[in-house]
Amino acid sequence: MSFRAIKTLLPALLGVGFFLLMGAASLSALFRYSEPHSWFGFLQQPYLWRVVRFSLWQALLSSGLSLLLAIPVASCLIHRQFYGRAALLQLFSVSMVVPTIVAILGLVVVYGRAGWFNQLFGVQVPLYGLTGILLAHVFFNMPLAVRLLLQGYDLIPSGQWRQASQLGFSRLAAFRWIEWHYMKKVLPGAFVLIFMLCFSSFAVVLSLGGGPKFSTLEVAIYQALRFDFDLNKASFLALLQVFICTFFAAIVYRIAPVNRQDVSVLRATSYLLKDSLWARFVDFVALGCAFVLVIPPFLAIFEPIFSPLFLDTLLSPALWRAVLVSLQIAIPAALISLLLGVCFSVLARFCVARRYVASLPNKIEHLGNMILMVPGLVIATGLFLTLREVGWGLESSYWVVVWVNAVMALPFVLRALMPVMYQQERRFRNVYLSLGVQAWSRWQLEWPLIRKGVAQAFGYALLLSLGDMGVIALFGSQGLVSLPLYLFQLIGAYRLEEGSCVAVVLITLCLLLFYCATRFIGGRSLAEH
Amino acid sequence: MLSINLLYDWERFHAHYCVNIEPGMTTLLGASGEGKSTLLHLLGGFLEGRGGLFFNEKSLLSLPAYERPISTLFQSDNLFPQLTVWQNVAIGLSPSLSLSSEQKIRVQWALEKTQLVDKAKRFPQALSGGQAQRVAIARALVRKKPILLLDEPFSALDPSLREEMLHLVNEVTMEFGLTTLLVSHLPYEASLVGGRVILIEQGRIAAHEPVSVLSQLDPHPLFLNYLGLSRVGA
Repeated sequence: MSFRAIKTLLPALLGVGFFLLMGAASLSALFRYSEPHSWFGFLQQPYLWRVVRFSLWQALLSSGLSLLLAIPVASCLIHRQFYGRAALLQLFSVSMVVPTIVAILGLVVVYGRAGWFNQLFGVQVPLYGLTGILLAHVFFNMPLAVRLLLQGYDLIPSGQWRQASQLGFSRLAAFRWIEWHYMKKVLPGAFVLIFMLCFSSFAVVLSLGGGPKFSTLEVAIYQALRFDFDLNKASFLALLQVFICTFFAAIVYRIAPVNRQDVSVLRATSYLLKDSLWARFVDFVALGCAFVLVIPPFLAIFEPIFSPLFLDTLLSPALWRAVLVSLQIAIPAALISLLLGVCFSVLARFCVARRYVASLPNKIEHLGNMILMVPGLVIATGLFLTLREVGWGLESSYWVVVWVNAVMALPFVLRALMPVMYQQERRFRNVYLSLGVQAWSRWQLEWPLIRKGVAQAFGYALLLSLGDMGVIALFGSQGLVSLPLYLFQLIGAYRLEEGSCVAVVLITLCLLLFYCATRFIGGRSLAEH
Repeated sequence: MLSINLLYDWERFHAHYCVNIEPGMTTLLGASGEGKSTLLHLLGGFLEGRGGLFFNEKSLLSLPAYERPISTLFQSDNLFPQLTVWQNVAIGLSPSLSLSSEQKIRVQWALEKTQLVDKAKRFPQALSGGQAQRVAIARALVRKKPILLLDEPFSALDPSLREEMLHLVNEVTMEFGLTTLLVSHLPYEASLVGGRVILIEQGRIAAHEPVSVLSQLDPHPLFLNYLGLSRVGA
């Protein structure tokens, strides 16, 4: 690598280096406070194994169900044009990042004891326990799975659809011979991502778990830190979680087929396939399930608008203090996350076309995604301890929350950024090289082409930080109460109605900020997917 | 006979193709962007046009691509890389790949005809450009469609291989009485396959003549401009 190349890449290298440094400092601080010789004792505890078993079981079920439903929904969305399709895709992109606590409230309104479902059909869903956890996880992850699969559909060359149309493929034949071939390349990655999200699920399990019987490792870590301040146990549990996730990811990636197909630079044209009653029926059922799962909880969230309590809640100073705290956390966290994402993407795409570092892009991406394996609570605690050692006291809590929110959003930022950055590299690399276009001048040229990806990345990071109920639950204090924490406190105090009104404010804020981010950064028309 | 009276509009491009085509080879000539491929896409059912399209007095216009009596070979993406050569040919007969013994014999016959029997179990990635296009021709053969559209499928091949493919297409057209339309940039290809030539200019049929028009010392006035340009281009 030439000196000039290193100079150009210096900001990106510094960004990734800082990310690694903070991670290392945080983990090393945590391990300094732990006693590994006592860890064997933890392994003897039946409670631990029950927690591990349940964490694995619910994550497997959640990811399996999400993908099983997402496959026919994605196929239907590719082949059918219907009124509201674009709106549904937008809803899917929002439901992925809707604040957990708000979605939980929506699910309670729909499936709770006095919920809509019970009122309409007289059937009570056992919401507190495995069923509730699965419902919430599928609500969050089925839309994510659909969008990941749609990215897989983008890999199918337009010519294959043209051939399918010419040869009279039915939907089943098209799925069997074309779609499945590309889908099976995307599925393992999607499965690992969703599995990890569910395995390390915190707020959903804390709220809908209904007791120690349905506890996950992440909740056990929270309990060890919040109630016992047992750093030793927390480090052990964190390590166990990292180990299980790594082991699982390694197995899945080992058996997964390699995806070498390049993303087409041309927008795929849709060609007519043979339709049948059976295909229409399957599409109807799949889409119906998706509608029933995703839309009612969304509608339920907005129900309190008509309540007289809504105005009173809006006039509460505590609410607006919480809004301000949320913005003070979310905006810097999203900016940091985007900056980190750009650093990772710039480094990865630099390596894409250079043979001597060709294996690096995947590793760089995995490095950014690794955060999904490490519990956010553990990083936060480690970071807090590190800062305490260098003389920062409780005032560091704010920055700890901002930083951990930024790095927790990084995998989503990378997912939105990496494909567009790679695409520009592949399309224009030779032109850039021959004209000597690099650094800032390259950004100026690329900006109109990547701004939608950047906007989406920023929007995701903003929403994830705005809805965070993990780190803030641990570090939240009198002066640091964000909207989700305020909502959680209201629910905990059985002030459900007031909580529902706060949820409306939170979701409105999310939608407003997501719209502003995509509209002002992304330009006039943000692509559907 | 293939009767075409098609209109198509796309932004500032307004095409109106009006011509009757007899069975045999017909080469579509014309400069880039004049609308040769557009005509083939309209015939194949991949673009929606207005007007009339008849084959042996049966209207094709309202039919989707898979119901038209047409096989189309494109410049690329004719094969499914995830299927073997045998499957790529067989899928032309049955998209579910469940073939009767008679159909299997037909696939075998097409593979023999295109000299691909020993490559039957290979995937397209393991074939040369010429072999891959032969697979596509084999599929067109098993489909038994009376119209064959060729949208420059051999343009990426080297000259000797291209000639070999054109001879094969010509042979198949004659043997099965097909109506074959070949899009080409090169007048010599038209001379090689014989039949008739159509000159397309700005989305219109400017001329429809026997291929001998190209070899005349004093060419047809409508071809003069095109041939002059193509010679300069060469």
